[in-house]
Amino acid sequence: MASSSVQSPTTTAVVPPIRVEQVVKTFGRLRALDDVSFQVQAGETFGIIGPNGSGKTTLIRLLLGLGRATSGHVFVLGHEMPARSVAIQIGYMTQASALYTELSVRENLAFFARLYGLTGAQVRQRIEETLALVNLSDRVDSPVQTLSGGMRQRVSLAIALIHQPRLLVLDEPTVGIDPELRHAFWDYFARLNREGVTIVVSTHHLDEAARCHRLALLRMGTLLAVDTPAGLRQSSGEQDFERAFLVFAQRHEPLAQ
Amino acid sequence: MIYRRLTALATRITQQFLRDRRTLALLFLGPLFILTLLTPILSNSAPPATLALAPSDTLSATFAQQLTSHLSSSVGIALRIVTPAQGTRLLHSGDIAGVLIFPSDFAQQVQSAHRATLQLQVDGSNPAIVKELQGVTALLVGEMNQALLTPASAPAQLTLAPLRYFTGGPNFTPTDALAPYLIGFFGYFLIFLLTAVAFQRERTLGTMVRLVVSPLRRTELVLGYLIGFLRFALAQALVVLLYVLFVLQVHVRGNVGWLFVVLVVLTVGAVNLGIFTSAFARNETEIGQFIPLFIVPQLLLSGLLFPIKTLPVVLHQLAYLLPLTYANFALKDIMINGNGIATIWPDLLVLLGWALLLAGAAAITLRRERI
Repeated sequence: MASSSVQSPTTTAVVPPIRVEQVVKTFGRLRALDDVSFQVQAGETFGIIGPNGSGKTTLIRLLLGLGRATSGHVFVLGHEMPARSVAIQIGYMTQASALYTELSVRENLAFFARLYGLTGAQVRQRIEETLALVNLSDRVDSPVQTLSGGMRQRVSLAIALIHQPRLLVLDEPTVGIDPELRHAFWDYFARLNREGVTIVVSTHHLDEAARCHRLALLRMGTLLAVDTPAGLRQSSGEQDFERAFLVFAQRHEPLAQ
Repeated sequence: MIYRRLTALATRITQQFLRDRRTLALLFLGPLFILTLLTPILSNSAPPATLALAPSDTLSATFAQQLTSHLSSSVGIALRIVTPAQGTRLLHSGDIAGVLIFPSDFAQQVQSAHRATLQLQVDGSNPAIVKELQGVTALLVGEMNQALLTPASAPAQLTLAPLRYFTGGPNFTPTDALAPYLIGFFGYFLIFLLTAVAFQRERTLGTMVRLVVSPLRRTELVLGYLIGFLRFALAQALVVLLYVLFVLQVHVRGNVGWLFVVLVVLTVGAVNLGIFTSAFARNETEIGQFIPLFIVPQLLLSGLLFPIKTLPVVLHQLAYLLPLTYANFALKDIMINGNGIATIWPDLLVLLGWALLLAGAAAITLRRERI
């Protein structure tokens, strides 16, 4: 997972798929997000890194249109969120595999495919394609409850991809899965990037950070830094991301310790 | 596009149902089991109460004889003749519900004072039976007064007009009276329970977020669930109805088609109530905890267990706020009185209003920010 293996995609002139501008989100007195701004470029994997409770999930929910920013703007694929019209272009996956366990893999995929407007032949074709991508073609008729946790996560990713979304939003997709599968997931992401899919992924596994093109470090609702993994190593003077994170936290709020 | 999403959702719900044998059994065999259990219980639950007559002398013994032989079969309770001492003992042992005691000098009082006071002693544990006994006693005393009007020394022949039925008929059984209520209740309760659990599972499994971030609208989500659950609600109603008609041989006088119309509207309300309720439960167990709140009051007040008219005023009015009450009115009108839309439309309208109200409440709990 050397940083040199990740090439940042060439920036294009098109409107970035995600623009977050001075977003504040409060829940009562709690400031879950405090003046957060960043952009995500087409075809990159953008990591949102931070400890539990840093505001990652709140940020992801705003990107999905589940709720409205208290102030500031969230633009996704050219629409200010929340906007239902972009739903069809977004794929979503979370750490809970979120499947109907009594149904087979095929029935789960077919259900979501039809929700996204796919019909007969398209449904069958996309089920084949997505299951091939996650190496589960041989389990298409297995009931989900007979699958292992890792297999379920792969079905979950296949569902997120079933309608060929331009943007994939992944909330801690690799929590609780074994290292081998985690590695495989990051290979899928790289492949999707090459096909032009933009990926936003939140994680608290700092060792996964190196496989993102760019990273946003989030702590207690504030953005500490947004940069490439190499850039973050350089500006913090630390090779290890955990230490780099602490350096930025210290700089942002020196008295916190 | 909308049609496709709705059928996708309805198909998925159908598939899930068909995979879940326990739920299928609950839905289809549960009502049949309970109905079968209820039939013998109901026919046994009200053994005719016995009223004993305790005459004291020849005149009262003659009266008692006449009354028991002429009225025993028509007053709805059994009559028998005992001695005053026996009467007290039988009342104590529970073999009789009441004893009508003639004064020891009955004949003498009637002849000299032209009046006599009889004493009714009852087992007061069941107010309904007490009322019944009071009614019967009044009838008996009335008959005796009529007889005493003739100035002869011997009592006149007692006669009684043939019994008149206001509802039902001579073959009318307690199950007939209950069947409409039970069909409505099973539909309502089981569909509420299954929807609430299904929706709760969508939340805990995380599939709800998947649905909400998909192009599926809130209204489509509610509609899709409705279509999926209606299939099973109607299939259930059909099975229960066939069972009731052909196995339990309950009498249905009205059009079965209207029965289904009522059940559709009732089910729409039940699905929406389930969706609404699921928002306030963190797990499936907590759904069960809502049953006393949302279901038991309707069970108690909708006329299934106690006639609405006999309820205290406050509860009486509360009963008129509950959807199941109106479903029961309509179902009873169809099944027992043989009426159709001309009579049941106000009930249907109230049910429809309830269904829409609950749909609104359900939609509020499905706002994207809340998921």
